[in-house]
Amino acid sequence: MTLVLQLAIAGLATGSVYALIAIGVVLIYKCSGVVNFAQGAYAMVGAYVSYVLLQNTGLPAVAAVIGSMVVMACLGALTERLVLRPMLKAPLVAVMMVTLGLLIFARAACLLVWGPDQIAFPPVFPEGAINAGGIFITYNYVAAGLLAAVLSLGFLAFYRFTPMGLMQRCAADNSRAALAIGIHVSNQVSAAWAMSAALAGLAGTLLATLNGLSLGLSDIGMLAFPVIVVGGLSSLEGALVAGLLLGMLQSFTDGLLTPALEDFLRANTSIYSVGALQQVVPYGLLVLMLLLRPQGLFGRRGTERV
Amino acid sequence: MTVQRRRVLVAVVIAAILVALSFALGRFGAYLVRAVAIAGIGALSLNLLIGYCGQISFAQGALLGVGAYAAGNLGNIGSGALLALVGAGIATAAVSVLIGLPALRLRGLYFAIATLAAQAILEYLFKMAEPLTGGVSGLVIRMPTLLGFPITSDQSYAALSVAVLLAVWLGITRLMRTNLGRAFLVVRESEIVAKGMGIDVARTKAWAFAISGFIAGLAGGLIGFTNRLASPEAFTLDLSADYIAMIIVGGLGSWAGPIIGAAFVVLLPEAVQRIGEALNIADILSALREMAFGLLIILFLIFEPRGLAALLPRLRPRPRGAAAAVPGD
Repeated sequence: MTLVLQLAIAGLATGSVYALIAIGVVLIYKCSGVVNFAQGAYAMVGAYVSYVLLQNTGLPAVAAVIGSMVVMACLGALTERLVLRPMLKAPLVAVMMVTLGLLIFARAACLLVWGPDQIAFPPVFPEGAINAGGIFITYNYVAAGLLAAVLSLGFLAFYRFTPMGLMQRCAADNSRAALAIGIHVSNQVSAAWAMSAALAGLAGTLLATLNGLSLGLSDIGMLAFPVIVVGGLSSLEGALVAGLLLGMLQSFTDGLLTPALEDFLRANTSIYSVGALQQVVPYGLLVLMLLLRPQGLFGRRGTERV
Repeated sequence: MTVQRRRVLVAVVIAAILVALSFALGRFGAYLVRAVAIAGIGALSLNLLIGYCGQISFAQGALLGVGAYAAGNLGNIGSGALLALVGAGIATAAVSVLIGLPALRLRGLYFAIATLAAQAILEYLFKMAEPLTGGVSGLVIRMPTLLGFPITSDQSYAALSVAVLLAVWLGITRLMRTNLGRAFLVVRESEIVAKGMGIDVARTKAWAFAISGFIAGLAGGLIGFTNRLASPEAFTLDLSADYIAMIIVGGLGSWAGPIIGAAFVVLLPEAVQRIGEALNIADILSALREMAFGLLIILFLIFEPRGLAALLPRLRPRPRGAAAAVPGD
């Protein structure tokens, strides 16, 4: 039982980081119709920027993280203006490819500056662990999970209840109508890119506090796709729920299913290991979801434009 | 002479020049010719699927892997190179149709994401299906034989690759003039229109996946035979991205674009490598190479979205004629 709880909490913590990334992907998709493969790049660059600010400026952790979010917001808006705007009328595959190009470029740039090795991330949260009835959870996990969850919820609230959020939703739903009532749509699109890059940067920083800082951080961008498909491509709430769900699923696969499966296979066959099963489980779920309910848990049917 | 005939003639001449080059330029030249030819085959396969039939796939890397493993296994149990390549083509076509099944229900973006999943799952299977793939360490492939003679020299690999490339290119050119080929284009433009014209959309897509998969299997088999090793980390999503880059940089849905794009994507890193070695900055070369690659993709897509193939007619001051019959997307 304690193992189950432990796994659930670990899953929720990583799941809320997935949610932060996926919310960014959905936000960009809703607003500009772009499927952003470079979200993982934002996470990685954000983590490196946080690292530089923490190491070299002596800022307090909070200021450094906020600083990196600001830098990422600028980068996000800049990519939208410089790269995506000229491609407004390009075919879908070209737009996808340009974001892949951004990912390749960002990864290479980070490789050039910081090298291929994993870097120990300076401690942001206090050391130690909470002991809740036999379950040990390090502060790192608690803080990262809580922060990601709170920010995701906060962002959803912002999107739903503030005037700026209303303008965002309006621009995303129907850009012509938004223009007609005087919303500066292209500014809203830039703002969406800025916000989602900032969220991804924060997610990257949180992930770096858990797993260390390396180029591998950019891989998380790909995991956003199972998350958003399960949640429904155009639903921010869906991204949050599906992120948590997938985090838990991965954690349970790693902690319970893999050992059980391996025990069974070793007893009955000559297969010794099932490898990193938790890495493919999200994609298996993705395929199932697409076959059974393509609009996702929270999506609406028929939202795809022909 | 019709445009078609002239184009075939040009292709045969270019192929002959490539083979001659591989003999003239020594081992390194042969390596480059071979690499470009194999990438060209893979790019033609992907162009058929994305450029002609409009089905975006991110699983090309894994499909090449399937081809390499299949050809390797067939070669290792003693079949000749040609038989092994055909076998690899058939196996890969089967996997490709399987990946394409969701495309019967899903469109555009959703299908593209489904292929992302296929790529991830196949990568996992490459690592896990040890009897067939050799697991994480990969499958060692024995020297293949062609009509009973072992293929030893780099030049003969280059010649074989160019020959397959030429055959595939001619086959696709021919295919695009049949009803099936035209049906691909209609499905790309609009599935609703295709249905209205009495085209069986599901069957047309299945054929696109099968043919594209078969060609990918040929390319994968050649990769396996020339590297003499098929390992999981060679067939990742990055490889899929390379191939999509090739067909976009070359020109989506154009007849020469994929091969020009393949040459560009294969030769660019080599060029950066040479320049880097000349400037004595070997330690940051791999990063620079990737940066140049990423940056060029971005710049290309922004400034010349129709690809390098669209630049070709500008070099010749004459009307494009039937070259415009299959316009870029």
